[in-house]
Amino acid sequence: MSAARVCVGAIAGAFGVRGEVRLKSFCAEPAAIAGYGPLSTEDGARRFEVTITRQIPQGFAARLSGVGTREEAEALRGQRLYADRDRLPPLPEDEFYHADLIGLEVIDTGGRPLGRVIAVHDHGAGDILEIAGGAARRGSVLLPFTREVVPTVDLARGRIVADPPPGSLDTGPPPPGSRRAG
Amino acid sequence: MSRSVWKGPFVDAYVLRKAEKAREGGRNEVIKIWSRRSTILPQFVGLTFGVYNGQKHIPVLVTEEMIGQKFGEYSPTRTYYGHAADKKAKRK
Repeated sequence: MSAARVCVGAIAGAFGVRGEVRLKSFCAEPAAIAGYGPLSTEDGARRFEVTITRQIPQGFAARLSGVGTREEAEALRGQRLYADRDRLPPLPEDEFYHADLIGLEVIDTGGRPLGRVIAVHDHGAGDILEIAGGAARRGSVLLPFTREVVPTVDLARGRIVADPPPGSLDTGPPPPGSRRAG
Repeated sequence: MSRSVWKGPFVDAYVLRKAEKAREGGRNEVIKIWSRRSTILPQFVGLTFGVYNGQKHIPVLVTEEMIGQKFGEYSPTRTYYGHAADKKAKRK
C-alpha cells in the first residue's frame, strides 16, 4: 500500500523580510528535502520548488518558488509539504521506505490477519514493525523486521507475510507473580 | 584491579537460565525478560530477547556489537513516532 505522496517537511513560519521561510525537515538526512521537489501542500493546491539558503536552529531557511514577500511566507506557516513518492530513489533489495511499510496488512503464514503496520522503529537493535488490529487485540505488537520473522513483503499486493515467533503476539503486562526484579 | 573488573558483568540468573534453555532447545522464540539491568554476554549473540519497557516487550536481536551493554539500552521507555518521510528499514 504505497502512498502516492509522502510528508517530508513543514513550514514553521517566515524567515527574514525577503520572503524566505523556516523549513522543518522530517527526512533522515534533513538537507535531502530540497532534492524531492517540487513539494506540494497537503491539499495539493500549491507546488513549490525548494532552495535551501542556509541552516538555522531547528531547520533551514529556504526560498520557495512563487513566494516573494514575508507576508506570503508567513501565510504558509504550519503547512506540511509533500513529495511525490516517485521522487524517492529506488532502494536495494531488503530495504524499504517506512512510508511503504506503514499501512500494509500483515497476515501469518496460515493466512490469518494479524493487523496492519502502524509504525517502524529502530532502537539500535534492528528495525521493528509495530502492528495493531487483528490478533493484536490489546494495543499493538512488535515484530523484529528480519527475514526469518517477515519472510515476504509484497508491496504490490499491499501485504506482509509474517511468521511470528512463539510468544511474540502476547501483549500487556506480565501475569501477577511472574514479574522479575530489575 | 578495579572492583568492577574483579566482580565481572552482572546478569540476572533467570536471564542466563532462559537463554541457555532457548539455545539448547534450538527454538526461535522471543525470550521475554524484565531485567533491563542485565549485561549482554557473548553467549546471547543470535538470540532474540523481548526486553520489557514497562508496557511491552521490545524485540532485541542480539549482535556482537551489543556485548557489554545493558538490555535496557535497546528498549526505550518512551515512544516517539515522528514522520516516516524518506526513512528506510532494512530487513536483516
